[in-house]
Amino acid sequence: MIEVESISFRYHKEWVLQGVSFQVGRGEFVGLIGPNGSGKTTLLKTLYRLLSPQQGEILFEDVPLKRMSRTDIAKKIAVVAQEAYPLFPFRVIEIVLMGRSPYLGHLVFERERDLEIARKAMEWTEILPIFERPIDELSGGERKRVFIARALAQEPEVVLLDEPTANLDIHHQSEFLDLILSLNRERGLTIVMASHDLNIASEFCDRLILLHEGGIYKAGTPEEVVTEENIKTVYGCGVWVDKNPISGMPRINLLKKGVRKSGTLERD
Amino acid sequence: MILSLLVSLWPSLSQSAPLKFVDEVGRKVAVPFPPRKIVSLAPNITEILFKLGLDREIAGVSIHCNFPEKARRKIQVGSYINLDFEKITFLKPDLIIATGAGNTRDMVGRLEKLGFPTYVIFPKDFDGILQSIDHLGKVVDREKEAAAIIQEMKRRRERVIERTQGLPRPKVFLQIGEAPIVTVGKGSFADSLIDLAGGENIARDEKKMYPRLGMEEIVKRSPEVILISSMNPKGDYRRLLQEWSRWKVIPAVRNDRIHLIDSDLIDRPAPRIIDGLEEIAKILHPEQFKK
Amino acid sequence: MKIVTLKRVTLISIFLSLLLVAVILLSITVGSVKVGPARSITILLQSILGLKGEGTETERAIILSLRFPRAILAGLVGAGLSVSGVIFQALLKNPLADPYILGVSSGAAVGAIVAILMGLSTLSFGLPLASFIGSLLTIAVVFYFGRQDGKIHPNTLLLAGVITGSFLSALIMFFLSVSQKEELHTIIFWLMGDFSFSNYQAIRVIFPYILLSFLFLYSRARQLNLILSGEENALQLGVDVENLRLISYLFASMITAASVSVCGLIGFVGLIVPHSVRLIFGPDHRLLIPCSALVGASFLIASDTFARTLLAPIELPVGVITAAFGGPFFIYLLRTRKVVKTL
Repeated sequence: MIEVESISFRYHKEWVLQGVSFQVGRGEFVGLIGPNGSGKTTLLKTLYRLLSPQQGEILFEDVPLKRMSRTDIAKKIAVVAQEAYPLFPFRVIEIVLMGRSPYLGHLVFERERDLEIARKAMEWTEILPIFERPIDELSGGERKRVFIARALAQEPEVVLLDEPTANLDIHHQSEFLDLILSLNRERGLTIVMASHDLNIASEFCDRLILLHEGGIYKAGTPEEVVTEENIKTVYGCGVWVDKNPISGMPRINLLKKGVRKSGTLERD
Repeated sequence: MILSLLVSLWPSLSQSAPLKFVDEVGRKVAVPFPPRKIVSLAPNITEILFKLGLDREIAGVSIHCNFPEKARRKIQVGSYINLDFEKITFLKPDLIIATGAGNTRDMVGRLEKLGFPTYVIFPKDFDGILQSIDHLGKVVDREKEAAAIIQEMKRRRERVIERTQGLPRPKVFLQIGEAPIVTVGKGSFADSLIDLAGGENIARDEKKMYPRLGMEEIVKRSPEVILISSMNPKGDYRRLLQEWSRWKVIPAVRNDRIHLIDSDLIDRPAPRIIDGLEEIAKILHPEQFKK
Repeated sequence: MKIVTLKRVTLISIFLSLLLVAVILLSITVGSVKVGPARSITILLQSILGLKGEGTETERAIILSLRFPRAILAGLVGAGLSVSGVIFQALLKNPLADPYILGVSSGAAVGAIVAILMGLSTLSFGLPLASFIGSLLTIAVVFYFGRQDGKIHPNTLLLAGVITGSFLSALIMFFLSVSQKEELHTIIFWLMGDFSFSNYQAIRVIFPYILLSFLFLYSRARQLNLILSGEENALQLGVDVENLRLISYLFASMITAASVSVCGLIGFVGLIVPHSVRLIFGPDHRLLIPCSALVGASFLIASDTFARTLLAPIELPVGVITAAFGGPFFIYLLRTRKVVKTL
């Protein structure tokens, strides 16, 4: 569905991404992982053309991204990213309705259909009861759900998430990820999530792409990607990898310095 | 340059000891007598000095001094509020004459400190002007000339009063400011001129000397004659007349009795104030002054 | 509170319009000359309907040539400055923004001062024109310097505007220091803002600017909401942010330029009306823009009416009233509701 063909990007002189190529299939849940500065967020931004790579091309359903209008992109791809503090706080319903913007063009007011779609989006994210509350009165978890609802209101085929679980406690993290997962499994939305939390990525994603210094170090299933060697090379840090006893997915365990040295780290 | 310095030094050798005067604001001033180098800090003072027959003795004037023509060629020492003290020091005047209605107390104080005898006049009405002419005549040693001027001015004033006595007094609006509209109230020279000329200033009872009147007020008071004082030397009076023509409800506009008048004649406490009086009288009562 | 729909906007606008009409009618009934309220209104209505009848010539002159055009012009300017304030606050994402923050007013002032120093009368056509040209030049200069990487960037624009404004202020001070007494008086009077010279010609001239700008800006009201949630967000939702910023900047500046050129610098309106309206009606620009316009119009007409009647026959500068009444009211709003979340 999305084809990234050998893209390179730089802000100023230094190349942040170099020769990155991969594919995202329809309905996949892909995780972008890598250390800070590896280019995760930058890569995500190229996927919705907030940034344009100086080299290479990105195709969305075989159409080059740079030939699509902003509105067309917005109708296909929705983004849930970090939001700055609102200057003048809007209410939940107003924010969700903003997701209808790509479909409204020159219209100043939303139509019945738009209200209906917004309502459904809020139902799905279980925020309908608080639709009139101003955004600044909500908790972090509620706020995230508002932005997901807004993304859903765009009726996208792809949802991009940038560090969505940062600043959330585990209850909200879990809630959030369940929601994303159900969007993927039940509604067939393609998800690309950039995350610094390796275990979450491993647990929830179908495929992982590990970025290292602007390029792809390893792409594949979580079992293929999350290994001690890979982590050691890319993150420069020794960890203990085992399997999550319930789901069977690779799980990273941080160990104290003393334990790392003395304990048996060499595995077969 | 050196020659003129020698020439200017020469007369001072024939001066006697300074005479003591008390000026119009009560200050004691010791003036080298007779003063041979005089600086005037205001246009009305300059006019008086020239009228008294001085010319060579006038060493410096203000930038506003525009009458007579000769005054424009004199050295300029500053404005009402900004004096070029360096220039004054260079000129080394025997006497500086200032006006209480324009020059600041600080300025006079500084001049005193610098050692220049400064005489302040402060005429507040027509008779005050006559008095100032008299005082200045004494200070610059032209008493006879002063007396003659005063007599002439009195005579002409009498004539105006005579000719307009008993006549109906038209309501007059004198405009001295355009944006905002400013007129003259009690205490201003122009107001007293209007009164002397046999007219009634519609702003006569305003407490301020230069009150602002709104258009509504002016319409309400329906003046029969409008005098426009040429306050802005570069102004466009056709525009102003056009503006007034919108208000046909005002008698002065309807009957085409809008006149321009030289502001230097009506608001400057100098000998030409009598010209101003005669002009206003001619405008208000034309039939009385046909030659 | 319900969501903002066309119906809701229309209803509230109608209500505020009625308020505006009431304020206009009130303003024409008071003044230094006593014309009874019934009489005043009758004169006005008859004139609008083209009938003749009531009132002496004097009364008709006062109502129709003085008070009514004054109310209309004050209303137009009040609406213009308020909308301009709303737009600048959104454009710069800064609650302290007002129509003058980007230096347009200083440019207008310089233009006016130059005209005055050249001898042009305040009543002439040349002075507002010179003032407008001054604004346009400033708009161009600030626009040129306010770009970063070829795009308008709010903080760069703000910086460019403030610096240009400071420079122009220095120029104004220079002009003041070399002016003669009479010119000084005129200049200061112009700078303080005044409606005493309101006439239908001025109204005819600025009305199209303000109306056109208002329509253009309103057509983008929805996108303005989006832009407040962040540039990246707006872009990702399909908004052409650069184009929106350009339009906002140009039209809001035009409104300011047109307003200032006919009545000088009237402060406070463009700052407190947007905030006050936002506190009452919410931040959605589809409601905020028309409400600010209507409330701003009523506010300025009322202020101007007070300015000319409070100490009659002395006329206070209208800027004094807008600050004196606007300030405390705004403080009251601040204490009962929150204006802005932490920045």
